[in-house]
Amino acid sequence: MSALCYLGFTGLLTALRERVTLFWTLLFPVLLFVLLSSIFGQVGEQGALRLNVAFVNLDRGADTGFAMAVETLFESLSVEGEDGRPPVFTLHRPVSDADPRRFLEDEQRALAYGRRAAVVVVPEGFSQEIGGALRRPGELAGKLHVHYSQGVPSSELAAGVIDQMLAELDRALLAQAGRFDEDLAVRTAIQWAGSEGHNVGYIDFLLPGVVLMAFFTTGLFGVPGAILYARDQRILRRYWVTPLSIPRYLAGFGLTILGMCVLQLTVLWPLGRFALGARVSFAAAWPAAYLALAAVTFLSFGFLVASLAKTANAGQAIANIINMPMLFLSGVFFPVADLPSVLQAMVYANPLTYLVDGLRTSLGVGAGQFAPWLTLAVPLGWISVSAVVTSRRLHWDVGR
Amino acid sequence: MNPHEDALLSVHELAKAYGSVQAVKDVSFFVRRGSVFTLLGPNGAGKTTTLEILEGIRPADAGTIELFGERTQHISSDLKQRMGVLLQDSNFEPYLKVREVVALFASFFRRSLPVDEILEKVSLTEKAGALVRTLSGGQKQRLAVGVALINDPELVFLDEPTTGLDPQARRNLWRIFQTLQYAGKTLILTTHYMEEAEVLSNHVCIMDHGAIIAEGSPAELAEALGQATIIEFRAEELPAEAGEDLARRFPDLKRRRRSIILNTRDFTGGMEELLRWSREHAFLLHNLNVRQPNLEDVFLSLTGRRLRE
Repeated sequence: MSALCYLGFTGLLTALRERVTLFWTLLFPVLLFVLLSSIFGQVGEQGALRLNVAFVNLDRGADTGFAMAVETLFESLSVEGEDGRPPVFTLHRPVSDADPRRFLEDEQRALAYGRRAAVVVVPEGFSQEIGGALRRPGELAGKLHVHYSQGVPSSELAAGVIDQMLAELDRALLAQAGRFDEDLAVRTAIQWAGSEGHNVGYIDFLLPGVVLMAFFTTGLFGVPGAILYARDQRILRRYWVTPLSIPRYLAGFGLTILGMCVLQLTVLWPLGRFALGARVSFAAAWPAAYLALAAVTFLSFGFLVASLAKTANAGQAIANIINMPMLFLSGVFFPVADLPSVLQAMVYANPLTYLVDGLRTSLGVGAGQFAPWLTLAVPLGWISVSAVVTSRRLHWDVGR
Repeated sequence: MNPHEDALLSVHELAKAYGSVQAVKDVSFFVRRGSVFTLLGPNGAGKTTTLEILEGIRPADAGTIELFGERTQHISSDLKQRMGVLLQDSNFEPYLKVREVVALFASFFRRSLPVDEILEKVSLTEKAGALVRTLSGGQKQRLAVGVALINDPELVFLDEPTTGLDPQARRNLWRIFQTLQYAGKTLILTTHYMEEAEVLSNHVCIMDHGAIIAEGSPAELAEALGQATIIEFRAEELPAEAGEDLARRFPDLKRRRRSIILNTRDFTGGMEELLRWSREHAFLLHNLNVRQPNLEDVFLSLTGRRLRE
């Protein structure tokens, strides 16, 4: 095997045998990917939203028609509609022989603990009151009791949905009583528009971001972690007394990083595609070009960091300091908007911002905030700056 | 230029400074093919810098090197194909296996010996599958020796090869070096250990403050002290007056921390004089030791210091 291949191969072996490196370069991206997608992507439910709502009917009397109508309405929203509309509610109701008041107490506690979005109570005498109100205009109509937690998003959402449902019910009752003329009502038509082409889920947005994060970690930490460590430990010096030249060593190291990136992609892509439902495909010219550009950019970034550090430990520390801000100020995980101007400047100087934008656009999961040439030019600019700084500042042997 | 037909390496007026410190000044020597050449000196004497220039790690400020018949100022990659180097504190990637390290280094050379042959030579066959980080100090050093020999080099640099090793591990390495010598290899050695230099070397250069202060075979160097005999005894609580008297009788007396070393060409006369002094001052001669001079004594007489101070 040639020195180049051997260097690349042994570099990869070393990285895979070292638990810390293995964790940060492979396990951590996988964990983060699964975690973010399970929190924001509703894994397994195709992005549908279901709210836990309890329903208690306390109206027990001779005429309970209206109470039953309300119950039927809630029921209809807890099953899939005939048109394929997904259910809105998971409805919790007392079993037939249970004490409804006891059930109500339990459900109110569940609401307090955040396990229910809302608790809907049909009070005693509800149907009679509605009936009376319909017969004698001006009389107070029956009241539904809706308990919800203010400020809790799912609860506010449930309250909004219930409000709309009851307005609809109200209208139906008035129309039935002849007090609402549908023909005179002003109709507002709503045109529901989905996204063009296929629906882009959060997973499709997230997968390219996680892949780039993994590449970024490999480049940023790989250079100080491997090259500066080897320099400080005089492992490099041992190479320099053989015919091995620095350019050949560098090429071998580049192969190691490339191998690591390929490994990361072969773990993350199938995980996203087959386990988490992502539909994007990297197997096309432009996505592949962006991935290669990203690997080289982050490798050069690692060299830039290594050039600024005196020791491997200092290099790791610098990498740690810039790692998180660079990741979060790039739109890798979430779209960036409305940031203070200082942070905006960091977003626009960050090569990751352009790479993730270019990659997402090439994958068809983003409109593309930047012109395509800019998404190539900024990373290439960083590569050039890093190359110049590295060639001037990086020492290849321990000094005296 | 080269006055010695059989010289594998000759160095002419080599110089190197670090800032205002002249680490190596006008060093010249030559190394015969098939010999073991030793640079001896205390820390900071300039021997490691000299070696680093010859190994191609550092450029020299001035001077010329003639290696394998090629006159140069810079050790090229082609010259390195024919050299083997054992650095001071050699380290390897801790997460590679012994076999992988040797194979990796083999890939750097145009010509290399089979990995198994190297492992056998340095008795690491059983450790072939072990990670470097699990090796003992002696095993690590044997691996470093194996790596230095992977290209079957004509010239091998051994920079303090046994520093920090236990006596058993040291002797194991000496055996390997002697085998190399029998195979006709040329070795350039630096060491802190006099015994090592005496056992292994054909030719010794003593360096101090960046310059060569004496050279020759170990026997020649010892002879330079004359047909002298060394008399040494313990003198921790020597009264000042007795000390002054002794210095009058033996003008080239050397005083070490715990002992006094006398160098005399007339052994009988010297002994009689010492015994007389001992009686007169009622000073008992503890640990009295009479011997022929060794490299340590040469070093002491040239520099006024012991090697490992």
